[in-house]
Formats: sequence, structure tokens, C-alpha cells
Amino acid sequence: MSSVEVIGQAGPDPAGPPERGPAARSDLPSYLAKKVAAAVVSFFMVLVIGFVIFSLMPSNPVAAITRGRRTSTEQQQFLHEQFGLDKPWWEQFGDFVWRTLHGDLGYSWGYQDSVSSLVLSRLGPTLLLMGAATLISVVLGLWLGIRSGWRHGSLLDRLASGTALTLWSVPTFWLGLILLVLFASGGVGPIPSIFPAGNMSTPGSGSGFTPAHILDVAWHLFLPCLTMVAVIFGQYVTIMRSSIIDELGSPYLLTARAKGLRDDDVRRKHAVPNALLPSVTVIFLQLGTMVGGAITVETVFSWPGLGYLTFTALKIPDLPLLEGTFIVFSSTVIVFNLLADILYRFLDPRVRQQ
Amino acid sequence: MLKSDRGAAPRLRRGVAGVLGLAVVLASALLGSTAGTATAKDDEQSTLRVATATAVTTFNPFLSYYDGELNVIGNIYPSLMSLDQDGKPVPYLAESYETSEDNLTWTFKIRDGLKWSDGEPITAKDAAWTFNLIMSDPVAATANGSLVSNFKTVEAPDDTTLVITTKEPQANMLYVSIPISGIAIVPQHVWEGKVDSLKGYKNMEFPVVGYGPWILAGNVTNQYTTLKANKDFFMGAPKYDRLITQYFSNSDAAVAALQGGQLDQLGGVTATQFDTLQNAPNIKTYQQASDGWTAIEINSGAKTRSGKPIGTGNPILKDDTVRKAIALALNRQKLVDKVINGRGIVGAGYLPPGYPQFFWTPSEEESLSYNPDKANALLDEAGYTMGDNGIRVDPKTGKPLMFRFGIHSDDTGDAQIAPYVQEWLKAVGIGTKVEAMSFDQLNVNLSKGDWDMLMDGWSTGPDPTYLLSIQTCATLPLDDGSAGNTDSFYCNPEYDALFNKQITQFDQGERAETIKSMQEILYQANADIILYYKNGLSALRTDQVGGYLYGEPDSEGFYPLQNQFTNWRTAAPATGEDAAPASSQTGLWIGLGIAAVVVVALVGTVVLRRRATAGLRE
Repeated sequence: MSSVEVIGQAGPDPAGPPERGPAARSDLPSYLAKKVAAAVVSFFMVLVIGFVIFSLMPSNPVAAITRGRRTSTEQQQFLHEQFGLDKPWWEQFGDFVWRTLHGDLGYSWGYQDSVSSLVLSRLGPTLLLMGAATLISVVLGLWLGIRSGWRHGSLLDRLASGTALTLWSVPTFWLGLILLVLFASGGVGPIPSIFPAGNMSTPGSGSGFTPAHILDVAWHLFLPCLTMVAVIFGQYVTIMRSSIIDELGSPYLLTARAKGLRDDDVRRKHAVPNALLPSVTVIFLQLGTMVGGAITVETVFSWPGLGYLTFTALKIPDLPLLEGTFIVFSSTVIVFNLLADILYRFLDPRVRQQ
Repeated sequence: MLKSDRGAAPRLRRGVAGVLGLAVVLASALLGSTAGTATAKDDEQSTLRVATATAVTTFNPFLSYYDGELNVIGNIYPSLMSLDQDGKPVPYLAESYETSEDNLTWTFKIRDGLKWSDGEPITAKDAAWTFNLIMSDPVAATANGSLVSNFKTVEAPDDTTLVITTKEPQANMLYVSIPISGIAIVPQHVWEGKVDSLKGYKNMEFPVVGYGPWILAGNVTNQYTTLKANKDFFMGAPKYDRLITQYFSNSDAAVAALQGGQLDQLGGVTATQFDTLQNAPNIKTYQQASDGWTAIEINSGAKTRSGKPIGTGNPILKDDTVRKAIALALNRQKLVDKVINGRGIVGAGYLPPGYPQFFWTPSEEESLSYNPDKANALLDEAGYTMGDNGIRVDPKTGKPLMFRFGIHSDDTGDAQIAPYVQEWLKAVGIGTKVEAMSFDQLNVNLSKGDWDMLMDGWSTGPDPTYLLSIQTCATLPLDDGSAGNTDSFYCNPEYDALFNKQITQFDQGERAETIKSMQEILYQANADIILYYKNGLSALRTDQVGGYLYGEPDSEGFYPLQNQFTNWRTAAPATGEDAAPASSQTGLWIGLGIAAVVVVALVGTVVLRRRATAGLRE
């Protein structure tokens, strides 16, 4: 939450270097303690909210899971007890908090497996997809944003901003489906089927870190990653562009130019570092939601990650699994917010002075 | 503002970067597509690639519920009986069987000389051990406990004899252990050690020891499962060397995969996808007779097993005339035409047409086909006078014939059906309020009796006992609301008597007749108004696979209900002019070449760039 406050502030005061007195440094432990305490409080709020939401959801997992199968009354009763549904809610909440603090996120009804191990096994594919997509969109978005802002109104600016905004407002699943039908089905006009329609690797193509397998995964990664990048890079373009424009009239840029620096260097060494802070905030917010993955993209492309796991959990609905993924997603956001707060102290001298 | 002194070098670099980016994209596409086809064919093995029906969570046959897993389990573990193409039991592990005079003892002769995939012999003791485990261990009973609830003892006096005694006569005994929907028999020597940890056991140590047309060779979570052909399978070996069942979380993606040649067969497509695929090259679409129905259920008076009324159901619906009028007001043919694009047949009897021996259709005079005039006349005659707003009024209470109509919010079929039903009922003076809700919410309301009309759907395996049972009084909830699995709170002693009769009729023909009489009772009760039976819609790549389907299509072109135990075994790689050309490795090498060039160029650019800006770095 505190990182949001910082968005409003422009950048480090370019007028002169801030004072770095010993007093400012000694604040660090108390600053850290405050932030960590806030994070812990947030985490407990997440636990409470998570439990309330998922307990209030009307559900009869026994019926949901066994529907269509022959089950005797005794069998239903057994499943009911096995899922702990016969206990009063306060006992269920107590169990829940105790388990969660011990790293046990419960037992999934649908998968008949521990939620922790399910989450762990889906973490890799999600990090690969979201990591690649975030990296590419940050690099692409910042690059375009810097250049668009530096020469706002130019052809590049109009093209980049227009494209970014258009794609930013496109529904992710829709774009994914369109790309999929265009490039995977081979059924649209002369376009051949050049990308796979889903999954993370070609069945039977082996595994491990062999070059063939890595290529195969990269080939499967292409369309989902493209979809993600297309939809999220726009936010970096717009934020970077506007913060560069904010800096344009600053006297320190005039000084830099007066020193005879080339335009490229004025931009890279003076304007960009000052304009970067708001983008850092957005990047960290994005990193925090990264583990949550892209539920829609993973579902469209059958990507076996956490987002897709959440989707299957919603369909049953598999409450322990939903609860587990909710906690994991929320805590990642909390952790990255904490990291952003700490990083800000180093990036922005004014935070140190407060 | 100062303009920069942009030399030729930066512009050139940008150009190079752009070209490089494009090259990387193209190379990855080319490489991937060649790598994909190359690896699929690399070891000269023929591979059948099908889409799974659901994700795979476990291969533990004692716990498995989902079709995607059951289709695999039915092909890697044996069962006592199998099914012919009419859905009738035929010998599999059991060569023959006989029943005792009192119909309580079944003696199966187990086929001699078969071996598990690890070389151990398959004996009657394996079967007895499997059944006994399900009967004694509640965890092992998770998936199939109800199938053995009437079993008293199961014994194996010798290696080829299995004796099952039941508490009451059980006519559906031959369906208890069949591939896919019945009990799979597991090797005792492998599973004995797993009993204590059965709950979390996923049976994913490959290759899995079993017996069947296929051997389970591997699984990549949420992606695909690999099976190898059992070339010694006694009913005839599969014609493919390998079978891959691949999971798609999105049916449009699966259709794209079929069109793009990454799949050979795909089931469960929607009517719209079916239409698209009909015109696609090298693809054969086919419909198979339905194994389920879509219906509107009507709350004819929810009550507990002891007869205590529960819930908020509208009491007007207890009147048989009102329910009959509702049935007459529905134009089911229109729903078949509009909602499922004609891919199915108009509903009537309670059991679907996929199992012809049990399929029942009403006679001409008892048929309640679309007749709004008759519906209006019936309601007039019963004294439900038309109100000013076009909604009839109950003469006894003065209340309007206004009913809640619950539909599944995530079901597009329900969403299409609701406005039609609303309009047709309006035409006979019945008002409805459509309430879209989640599957769970709908079920919760259902079990509490808090509903008037609901959309409902069921499918069944070849033995209809369970589907018939959810209409008996014994499935009503207890007074505390627990233990109910009734479908629509229907309860009729006459129906229950026939239900108890059919379970003791060992002559399959006689049993089928009783089951048809039960359906007649249900049809007249109008507690479940069957709207239609939707055909199974599937597609095959004719340039890849032949011999997949069995049975002859009927006059409308509908195939008999297929099952994967037979389909996967009889499917063969396509031959002749339809067959796809074999792919070569050339593409892979071209792709690798391009990739190498791209990497070299990238490294070169980075080095050049660093050198060019070296002077600016301090």
C-alpha cells in the first residue's frame, strides 16, 4: 500500500544530492520493522478474508465430485467427514490457521492431493510464462515509452502509444483465442499451422534440459507469451512515456545539454534515471501478481500453471485448493510490496529522509 | 530543443535489431514445428493421439472419478466382463459364469494363462483381493464402493474360480466389473504394499504393472499421458505402438489442434465446432447415440424420507395436471433444432438411446408432444382461470401460477433453453422467473427443496441401476437434511416396487421390460421432463487414423455409443491415398541452421554495440 503513495511523487530531487547523515541510516531497522509488521498484519487479514470467502461459498463438494457416479449414502457421509465438513466453523478456522502457518495448505478435494505440492508443481510453468512475458514487456515497454516520451508527437510515439493502448484494452482470452485459431489450427486461409494449440511440450518428445526439449518448450511458449506481452506492455509504455514528458522541461536537462552531451546521453544518463521510479512501482506490482499467473492465458493455451490450477479449482469448486492459491497469490503480492518498499529506500533518497 | 546528432551507426543497429527479432520469431516457429513432427515420428513408432475428456489427477483405480483417468484405467487393468457394441456384457477376464438356484451365488471361471505386465500370473485371487479391499476399506471404496454394497463374500477357492455371494439377488452383477465404468482388478502382489497409504497414492510409478490392451508408460501432469501397446493382449493387440492422450483446458484449442494435425481424434465438441469441422479437409465428423439427457425437473412436493415436507417449493406444482400441462407446452423438437442444431433426438423416456436394450418411447396416445391447445384446455378444465396479466390463478388459494426456474449460469445450453421455455409457458398462462446460478448453488437449493423448476442433466454407464435409483423414495433426505441424493424428490411406491423387482431379474430381457415399465411411470409423473438426448459429437483425422469407429450408423447417420476400450484397440494408422506424407528431418536441420545464424548475429551485435559505446562508459 505504501508503494502506491510513492507513485504520486515525481523522482529524486534533481536540485542536489540529499543529505546522507548517520541519523537517516539508523532509521533503517525501525523502518524495516514497521514495514514487516505491516506485511504480517496484511497476511493475517488475507487468512481471515480467505477463510470467510471460501466458507461462505455455497458448496457441497461431495456432490460436486461424485455427481454422475454411483455413491452410497455411507460413502457420501465418509467423504463428508474426510473433508472435515462435519466440524463447526471455528474449529475449521483454527485448523486452517494452524496448518497454514506450518506450510500445509490443506488437501484438495478434486485432485486428492496436498495443495502445497500441487502449487509447487505448477509454479515452474507459471514462472516461465510470466517471467518471460514480464521481462519482454518491461524491456519493450520501457524502450518504447522512453523514446515516445522523448519525442512525443512523433510518428513512433503515435504508433507506439496507439498500439499499446489498443492492445491494453483487448480482452486477454479473446486475443489468445484469435492468435490460436490463426496460427495453430491451419484452418484460416493460407496460414499454415505453425504453432502448437496448447500444452507446454510435444507429447512423447522427452524431457529434461536437452536442446530439443528446450526448443520444444520455447515453441509452445511463443503464443501464450506473445498474448501476455501484447496485453501488458502497454502499461509500461504509458507510464514511462508520461514520466519522461514530466522531466522534459527540467533545468537539469538543459544543464546537461549545455555541457555538450549528446542527446542520447542526456536521455539515458539524466532523464531516464529520474523518470524510472513510477515504472519500478508498476513492475513490482506486476511481479507480485506474476505468480497468480494469467488465469485466462493459461486456460486458453492449456498451460499447466497456477492460473490454470485456479481455474480447475473454481470449476468444481475445490475450496481448499482455491483457499491455498488465494493465500499464495496474496502473500506474493505482500512480499513484493515489501521488497518494493525496501528497494525504494535505496532508489529514492526522499524515502530515507522521512 | 536540441536535435541529436544521429549518425548512421545507431540507425543501422536498429535495423539489425528489427531483422533479428523477426528472424528469432520465424526460427522459433519453424524449429518448433519441425521439432514437433520430427520427435513424434522419431523412433518409427506409430502413435495414436487423442484428446482426454478431463484432466488426469490420479491413476489409482480406487479413487478415480474423472472420465479422462477412467478411460486410461479401463485400458490398463482388466475386469471380469467387457461390453459388446450394444452395451451388453461379454466375457473378458471371466471366461464364463453361473448362478446358484437361489440367485445369491455367482461363480466365475477366470481365464487361465494370462500374465500381468511384470510376468506374474493373473489369478482369481487378484480379483477376490480387489473386491475384498473395496468392501472392507472405506478409502478403497471411494470410487466404487456402491458397486459392492450388496456383496456378502468374495472368495477364490483356486486360481481360476471366483465365487461372489450377495445379500440380495443382484441382476446387474455382470456390469459391476467392466472396463472404464466398473471395478478394475489390480495385481495383489503390487497393491498389497499400498493399502496403508492408499488415500494419497496416485499410481504414477511407470511403467504401471497391469494387464489390458495398453500399458501405462508415463504421464506429464496436466499435459499428456503415454501408453504402450500390449502386443500380447488376448482379445487382439492394438494396431498402434503407442497411444498419447493429451489434455486441453479449452475446447477451441483442442479443435485447433485437430485441424493443425496435432491430434488424431477429439470427442465432446460443441455443435458449433462440429459444424466448422464438417467442412475441414481430412476430417470426419461423427455423431454417436447419446448416453444422457437434458431435462427440466419439477418440484412435485419435496419431503424427507419420513414424509415431512421441506423447502419452499410452490405447492401448485403438486397438481399432476399442472405438470402435465407444462410438459405439453414445451416444443422439444424446436429445442433440438435450435439449441443442439439438430444433433440429437427429442426426449421422452428416462434412459438414453445409447443403450438400445433399455430405451423406451411412449406410444402415440400417451405421448405428451407439443400441444399448447391441449395444455390450455387441461388448465381451464382444472379451474385455473386466466388472470388479467395473462398468468393463470389457482382457484383454491388465489395465487398466480408463477414459478422460479433455476438454470446453470455456466451452461450455454441452459441459457438458450430458458427464454423458449419462458415463452411457451407464458402461452399457456404460466409465468416463470429465470434464476441463473452456479452448479453448486443450484444443487444446494435442490437438496433443501428450495426450488420450483430446475434444469437438470444426467448421463449413465451401460448399467442404469444408479440413474434409476435416484428416483426412488430411499434417496429422499433424512429429517436432518442429510444423506439425500434424490434427483427431484420423486417418490412413488409403485416405481420402487418395480425397481426392487428388476434388480432380481436375472433374465436380461425380462429385466429390460421391467425397466421400460418404470420409465413409463416416470414419463406420466412429469417430475423430470426429458427435453432431449444430445448426441456425442466427435471428429477424426481420416489422413491419420482408420478403423477407429465400430458399429454401423443408423438411418440418421448416428453411430452406436462408442467406448475407448474398443476404439483405441481397433484404431489403425491410415493407409492409402488419405494417409499423410511422412515428415522428414530436413526441416529440423534448416531450423537449427537458422537458429545458429541468429545466435551468432545476436552475439555479434551485442559486442559491436558495446564497443561503439565503450567511450561513453567510464
